[in-house]
Amino acid sequence: MTAAVVVRALRRAAGVTVPLALLAWLLIALAGAPPGEAIDAFLRGAFGGRRHAYLLSTLSRAGLIVGMAMAAWLSFRAGLFNIGGEGQLVLGGLAAAVVAVHAPGPAPLVMAWAVLAAMAAGACWAMLAGALELAAGVPLLIGSLLLNYPASFFASWVVGHPLRDLASGLPQTDLIVNERWLPNFPGTRLDIGVAVIAIVTIAVIAYGATTTHGLRARLNGLSPAFARASGFPVRRLALQTLAGSGALAGLVGALAVLGLHHRYSDGMLVQPLYAWTGIVAVLLVALVPWAVPLAGFFFAALATGAAGMERTAEVPREIALILQAAIILFVAGYTARSVPGARDDGDAH
Amino acid sequence: MESLGASLSEVTVRFGGQVAVDALSLDIHPGRVHAIVGENGAGKSTAVNVLFGLIPPSEGEVRIGGAVRRLRSPRDAIDAGLGMVHQHFTLVDSMSVLENVVLCAEPDAGGGLVDFAAARAELVRLAERHGIRVDPDARVAQLSFGARQNVEIVKALYRDARLLVLDEPTAVLTPREIEALFAMLRRLRDAGRAIVLITHKLDEVLAIADQVSVLRKGRLVASRTLAADMDAGARRELRDALGREIVGGELPTPLMRDPRPRGEVVMRATGLSGRAGAMRLGPLQLALHAGEILAVAGVAGNGQDALVRALVGLEPRAVSGRLTLAGRDVTAAGVAQRRALGLCYVPEDRQRAGLALQATVAENASVGRLGGAGFARGPFLGRGHMRRFAESLIRRYRIGVRGPRARARTMSGGNQQKLVVARELELGGVVTIVENPTWGVDIGAIATVHRELMAMRDAGQAILLVSSELDEVLALADRTLVMSGGAVVAEFDRDDTTRQQLGAAMIGGGGSVAA
Amino acid sequence: MLLDPAFLGSVPRFVVPVLLAALGGALCERAGVFNIALEGFVLVGAFAAVAGSWWAQSAGVGVLFACLGGMGMGLLFAEFSVRRGGDAIVVSVALNLLAIGLTTFLLRALFGVSGAFRDPRITGLGTVDLPLLDAVPLVGPPLAALLSGQSPLLWVALALTLLLPFALARHRYGLRLRAAGEAPQALRTGGVSVRRLRTAALLGCGALCGLAGAQLSISNVNLFVENMSAGRGWIAVVAVLLTRGRPLPLFGVAVLFGTADSLSVRIQGLGLPQQATDALPYLATLAALIVASVWRRRHAAAGA
Repeated sequence: MTAAVVVRALRRAAGVTVPLALLAWLLIALAGAPPGEAIDAFLRGAFGGRRHAYLLSTLSRAGLIVGMAMAAWLSFRAGLFNIGGEGQLVLGGLAAAVVAVHAPGPAPLVMAWAVLAAMAAGACWAMLAGALELAAGVPLLIGSLLLNYPASFFASWVVGHPLRDLASGLPQTDLIVNERWLPNFPGTRLDIGVAVIAIVTIAVIAYGATTTHGLRARLNGLSPAFARASGFPVRRLALQTLAGSGALAGLVGALAVLGLHHRYSDGMLVQPLYAWTGIVAVLLVALVPWAVPLAGFFFAALATGAAGMERTAEVPREIALILQAAIILFVAGYTARSVPGARDDGDAH
Repeated sequence: MESLGASLSEVTVRFGGQVAVDALSLDIHPGRVHAIVGENGAGKSTAVNVLFGLIPPSEGEVRIGGAVRRLRSPRDAIDAGLGMVHQHFTLVDSMSVLENVVLCAEPDAGGGLVDFAAARAELVRLAERHGIRVDPDARVAQLSFGARQNVEIVKALYRDARLLVLDEPTAVLTPREIEALFAMLRRLRDAGRAIVLITHKLDEVLAIADQVSVLRKGRLVASRTLAADMDAGARRELRDALGREIVGGELPTPLMRDPRPRGEVVMRATGLSGRAGAMRLGPLQLALHAGEILAVAGVAGNGQDALVRALVGLEPRAVSGRLTLAGRDVTAAGVAQRRALGLCYVPEDRQRAGLALQATVAENASVGRLGGAGFARGPFLGRGHMRRFAESLIRRYRIGVRGPRARARTMSGGNQQKLVVARELELGGVVTIVENPTWGVDIGAIATVHRELMAMRDAGQAILLVSSELDEVLALADRTLVMSGGAVVAEFDRDDTTRQQLGAAMIGGGGSVAA
Repeated sequence: MLLDPAFLGSVPRFVVPVLLAALGGALCERAGVFNIALEGFVLVGAFAAVAGSWWAQSAGVGVLFACLGGMGMGLLFAEFSVRRGGDAIVVSVALNLLAIGLTTFLLRALFGVSGAFRDPRITGLGTVDLPLLDAVPLVGPPLAALLSGQSPLLWVALALTLLLPFALARHRYGLRLRAAGEAPQALRTGGVSVRRLRTAALLGCGALCGLAGAQLSISNVNLFVENMSAGRGWIAVVAVLLTRGRPLPLFGVAVLFGTADSLSVRIQGLGLPQQATDALPYLATLAALIVASVWRRRHAAAGA
């Protein structure tokens, strides 16, 4: 790392943080809150709380975001612009909830089935988008995006009508019985979902770096013409990668259902924008895999901190979303093509 | 028409750390054709781009009509009376000739609406005066390359260019079209215009230039005025002198050829037909034997691309007919199956189809072997083995790169090409299809590639060489097929092939020799 | 049922936002800007329209604010993608998220509400009545149901649909816009700034998407709801990609989608669950894409 590189990195970092700080200050002022109080509320909301309740909440959220980010990473690095993570996440969560609530059997077995069902649901939904492109010529970007909506609506209907929780009358499944909850870390209220995601993240990164399938997928993303001319089985690669990506999204849904919420309720996976945050996290770090957990944690802290700001200083929590988008915009201007194989916009000059 | 001259004065152009043009001084006089020659990467295009205002010089001055000009964009150069026909066409395919000619210089009919009627009248007038044939309403997409070249020239004339620069204009023209172009350039010169011609082909220089400047590594090596008439001896001497100046030493020795007879047929196509965009391919046949180089010559855009795609298997469903490889029917087979039977492929577009630029040299080199011993252990990559293999390629082919872990992107065009050729030839296949392997590559790398291809041929490989460079075809081919309009129109044996015959065949028919 | 005047009257209300947004998207597409942030542009326009209309108690100001809001988004896109070279898809995703965050944030910060903002001060866009249409024999009444009493933005959209192809063919900037998208080097070597053209296209797109948003928030209804654009921007994106930004086919596609959208609302009355009708436009869009691509393939195979 030469001095010039370090200086350039610092200058870029300043070029991002200064406008961002200004923007945050402006938004806080618009909300009519005193800045000091707001920042204090933010920090406490992200990292504080009695017995670190908020920090754990941030970690939990970070886990889900990182999971979705890795799901997106799998697709994007292979040149597959699959932005249907939300639909895959929702169907996965729904499947897990349905199995966990209604399937008979010993708890560990049912939970395993729930996870498998979730991964299968996510994988199938992702492969459907892939099939639409291969067989029907619908661009993956559009197909995967459009499939998000019917998936959400379907899940919404399922918990609104046939499988609704009759006791509360709310659009959600029944509560999963205690035995089938994901265990917590001893002495805390944080479920081990985070640990599962961590392990899966490492496995996924290892897949990318050390397997031939991972190399072929990455080369296909860097240069589809090269992959074809070299005789790669591009269609098989695409479907397999999409299946993996969807399965991972489904797994995240299962973890959210079995661990965080213990049921599936309408909008619980969509409202917090886990999938979209995952996508922007992976774009932010330009697909550099080891930086994804950092970005995921950062965005999670941003969200929980903003929730804290809303509780205490009455600054609407959407400030997190605004800052997140602004970060992406600034970083986009610095990185070259973040997604290999995505449509070439041509030059910027 | 006022005559116009221009000059570059001690111009230096730096890109990052590289010096593309080094203290270059050139004078361009009206009423003369000034040829600028040099091999790929010598800085010719960069120099004229400075003149045209596309690239600002890091140092030095540009003078147009005697006055120093600071050109902020091509607009300034155009206003000063310069016109340029670029190496790659700058036409909008979906628009008509008329629309293309007026683009960026549109006559105003009021409120920003374009006065097409006035433009059309002017266009017709210009075409007549200079003897150029253009159809104002034809869509550029449907024009031949020669016709597109004419449109580019008319564009410049429409803007009243008195100094015309042409950057490698003949790369995609048939020999007859080249003659027509030169005739037009002579007319323009005789009317007082200054013409600058960039080329790497020495016979073009001899055919038309009044003045020749040689560039090497961004510097001016020599500049001379050519006598009006030279005998054959003087021409030869001049050619050799220019050749030496371009390369900066002695020219590489011509290739030695092993005269052994060729072997059996390893690839045969019968009734092969399909389409590539608007062009219909075939039906055609060819037979490729072991131990021979079969060249497919022809100006780019005559179906060679479709032929290669059909042979390699990039679109098996779009092709009909029959294709056999190593005795097996591969008509419906995909690329992977054909490669498994021994097909290797060096694509024309080395940066997109030949390599993954962002990947490392080791990764690029190992593609095609990932199923093999050492390169993969089960599902896992054998990175050490891959690295060692890449190192051996780098050594053998003298590829200029930091090491196997460097990204392919960091290599020059010639070294990238060497890597692709090395990888494909080392696969030890039965048939290697090579497309324009030396396009945009420096002379040293060209010599290496040609040598390796010849060595492979001597060792019994079958090589199909698709090339639009006549020199390359003449140097390497045992047999030559000429393609035009999607079909094979002529076939030549090595001993009977001359430049004239190939050129004649390229414009349609004529010259078939029993194989 | 299709000729039921209430149904006919509802169709333009769904077509206009999609058409306006799609026309804006077409400008970007022709200029070579891959803008898939139309959803965000429209949402910002809808919010700005309500804010402006509420503040000045004038629909005209609402429309003006909507255009300005959309153009602001266009400027952001231009800055981070065209000028700084950021990948268009990344910038689009970011702007879509920004729109959601910004509109919801301002909804709470400025108006102190969440969910929906209703207020008598929000002045709706009036309608354009064509009373004479009724008198025309035979086609009069259905045409009147369709065209009379609609928002003035319908006429803006129709005028633009006719104006755009004309301008693209015969105006200096129309020519240059097409060149920017197909062969930017033709402009560069001619000394014309591709960047400036693309920025202008983005501004135009922003203004048109702003108008689309205004149609949603101060014409169709008189309020702002979170995520009001509800997928219309995405449908416009699909329309633009399907037709490659050619205005007349774009019109046809926008009408098709708008009608499907309107139909899905009508079908709700027939007892299907809410979610099924919500999903209908997306499923219809997918179906249309599949059909179009299959048709294109068969057409190409038959030989041209």
